[in-house]
Amino acid sequence: MLKAACIIASKDIRLVMVRGGAWVQSLLLGLLLVFVFSLSLPAGETASPQTAATLFWLASAFCQVLAFAMLYALEEPTNARAGLMLAPIPVQAVWLGKAMAGMGLILASQAVFFPALVVFLGQHVSGGVWFFLAGLLLADAGMAGLGALVGAVAPGQAARESLLSVIVFPLLIPLLLAGIRLGEAAFGGPPAGLFRWLGIAAAFDAVFLGAAVLLFPFVFGEPQ
Amino acid sequence: MLTLKGVGKHFGARVILHGVSLSVPAGSIALLTGQNGAGKSTLLRLMAGLLTPDAGDIRRACPDNAIAYLGHATFLYNELTALENLSFWDRLNGGDGGNARLMETLDRVKLAPFADERAGTFSRGMAQRLNLARVLLRPPSLLLLDEPATGLDARSTAMLRQEIRAARDKGAAVIWITHAPADDASLADTIFSLDGGTLAFSGPPVQWRAKTGPASRGGASC
Repeated sequence: MLKAACIIASKDIRLVMVRGGAWVQSLLLGLLLVFVFSLSLPAGETASPQTAATLFWLASAFCQVLAFAMLYALEEPTNARAGLMLAPIPVQAVWLGKAMAGMGLILASQAVFFPALVVFLGQHVSGGVWFFLAGLLLADAGMAGLGALVGAVAPGQAARESLLSVIVFPLLIPLLLAGIRLGEAAFGGPPAGLFRWLGIAAAFDAVFLGAAVLLFPFVFGEPQ
Repeated sequence: MLTLKGVGKHFGARVILHGVSLSVPAGSIALLTGQNGAGKSTLLRLMAGLLTPDAGDIRRACPDNAIAYLGHATFLYNELTALENLSFWDRLNGGDGGNARLMETLDRVKLAPFADERAGTFSRGMAQRLNLARVLLRPPSLLLLDEPATGLDARSTAMLRQEIRAARDKGAAVIWITHAPADDASLADTIFSLDGGTLAFSGPPVQWRAKTGPASRGGASC
């Protein structure tokens, strides 16, 4: 299953890189969010660590919606989705492949958002970076697992983007809160309760990933 | 190789297929014909496992990776080259994606000179030939074809017929949807005709010709 997932993920990443447009769009949206907020700050003032971390995860969440809408749209023009269904692989390999590709895209976007926060919002990276990195991986894994599940539900890109926004954002709240708290620590925020937030993120990951493995065969089911 | 017993399918309140029973042995070609909306494509997708029947039973005497399906959609990624498309589907079906074998398959469908060109630049006929190459990557035990000659010129259609015959000779069961049964009957061992979602005819081409009259006798042979 892992081999098939890697084949699907590498194909998706390659297609996204060739197409470019939609991923660049999600990057620009995140950067715009950071930049516009930086303009709202009075001259000489910097944003609080909490604000910076919140913007980071908001930009990441927008990126997630666009990334998974884009990844499932790759199969639409020639109904390659049916080809994936016919392939002699566990159907969950498709979910895992999409989740891996989506997580790669989210991480790549975050690698751009993070320095942008440092530059535009005047943040200083201090202690707690390991908590931030651990939170980043846990929250991204949950976002990717959930995005890969919900993205498979709706046919058509517009419907998928709406559905992803409506269903995924409320479900992501605990993960985003954990990500914000742990991200705050990287920008010099209070270090209290970080292990608790790591535990919360890990627990929601377990729920989301478990549910996705069980539900994916039903949502990726019969094309009409 | 493939047996259907009392298969039924509906989409919402609309009944598409009702009580379809048929059998296709290994090493034979069956034509599936009928008017638009008769349920042919739905039946083929049920045979492939793309849909699940609401009634009845479908038995395939072959492993999942021995089923090849060629439908209206090409399953190709337009931004990938012909070779990359084949490599992807080959590896997903358990192959090694080795270039020599892929190039040999491309050569069979006369696309070797276009191996490094993106599938999105191909004409409908070339895309369909690449789709055929995808199907031919591994010798299938069950070959399901939904109007495979759509968009193909006369030479490509002849090549397609040759590949279908070769698959049959290697022991595959071939089910082939056609709107020109008179043209394709020369290749077939059996003809199934659907009418309004039920099986209206099942028998050898000779009986089909007798039933449908002189109009069905014309057409090309290969």
